[in-house]
Amino acid sequence: MPDKADDVRLIERVADGDAEALGELYDRYGRVAFGVLYRMLPGPEAAEEVAQDAFHAVWRQARSYRADRGSVRTWLLAICRNAAIDWRRTRGKRSEREVTIDAAAELLSDARVEERVVSAMRAERVRAVVRELPDEQRQVLALAFWGGYSQSEIAARTNTPLGTVKSRVRLAMNKLRERLEEER
Amino acid sequence: MSVERHPTEDLPAYALGALDESERETIAAHVEGCARCTRDLAQFEDALYEAAAVGAVDVQPPRDLRTRIVLRHRDARAPAATSWTARIAGLLVRPVPLAVPAVLALLLVVSFAIVGTNRQQIDTYEHALAGVADGRVVALAPTSANPDARAAVVIPNQGQPYLVVRLPAPPSGKTWEAWVLKPGPRAVAAGTSTAGDVFVLPLTAPLGAGDGVAITLEPSAGSPQPTTQPVLVVDRT
Repeated sequence: MPDKADDVRLIERVADGDAEALGELYDRYGRVAFGVLYRMLPGPEAAEEVAQDAFHAVWRQARSYRADRGSVRTWLLAICRNAAIDWRRTRGKRSEREVTIDAAAELLSDARVEERVVSAMRAERVRAVVRELPDEQRQVLALAFWGGYSQSEIAARTNTPLGTVKSRVRLAMNKLRERLEEER
Repeated sequence: MSVERHPTEDLPAYALGALDESERETIAAHVEGCARCTRDLAQFEDALYEAAAVGAVDVQPPRDLRTRIVLRHRDARAPAATSWTARIAGLLVRPVPLAVPAVLALLLVVSFAIVGTNRQQIDTYEHALAGVADGRVVALAPTSANPDARAAVVIPNQGQPYLVVRLPAPPSGKTWEAWVLKPGPRAVAAGTSTAGDVFVLPLTAPLGAGDGVAITLEPSAGSPQPTTQPVLVVDRT
């Protein structure tokens, strides 16, 4: 599992224009980034296209990375997720612009352990924490994360009062943070 | 929003990217100046993306994806080898094909302006590629024939694909010739250029999904089939 300080040094090298450092970053996180994109996009071609865009964004934005705002992994995966949402809105065919409720409804569906990014033991712990969340809380997290839906969109699509959706998001996120943070 | 009124209720949804735009802006402005909320946001996001990493599909990316990503950026900030003024002036006097997006042409002009301010380390080739906003870029790999060569196919969302190439001018009586590599394998002539340094070469042959692209050195009239080893090639775009 990559060391966080090493990750930061890699980003500093990328910011200095070292393309090989970008390759090393890809070695660490390329597979999980591709897995995130693969799940959010309609096929491998789109995932490949967006992966290139995302790593180019990493290249351009490396100088703006701030360690106090989260890990390199989080920063990179957030860039990938945003790029995927942007692709769906601007380049996807009409049928590809939205992820169906069913397809996005489970945070851990198709889940596999990516040991180079999360150790097997830690991954099992993350799974357990996610599974402890009530179904309806897991669903709103998944719809927002994988589907890119806002709280008001989720409320409309699931016929749930907006206040209830907000409450579920808040409870789920607080639980995730609390349980995963305390065991770091 | 003052620092005293932390957006505790909405920060989790902000981390999740689930707020509407107007709500996002307010919280972003607060977080920018609040160390406590910056820390809280980082913890929310780290937890969320850790769960996402575990929940992502485990699938093998294309084998050459890493190579393409690295090649696209390898010479991004290489020092200039020759006079930049001459190189870019030479580029600008060449007609830019109509198929090349205005943004690329503009970037080349911007690069010229930057040279005028003595930022000579900025590479025109990288600038041209970095400015491609509406398409896909696939790097060609240099071969042992010319390890310093660079080229990338730009596949715009609209319009014909073209190559951005960095190669020296061909010897007298020779030309650079582009090829679209079809299954079979079959090479289809796709345009020639006697330009040097950084130049644009529109692909005149259709580029299908998954086709490869190569550049070879050929007699000045061009060849119906490649007669030399490629200086740059990608098996699949």
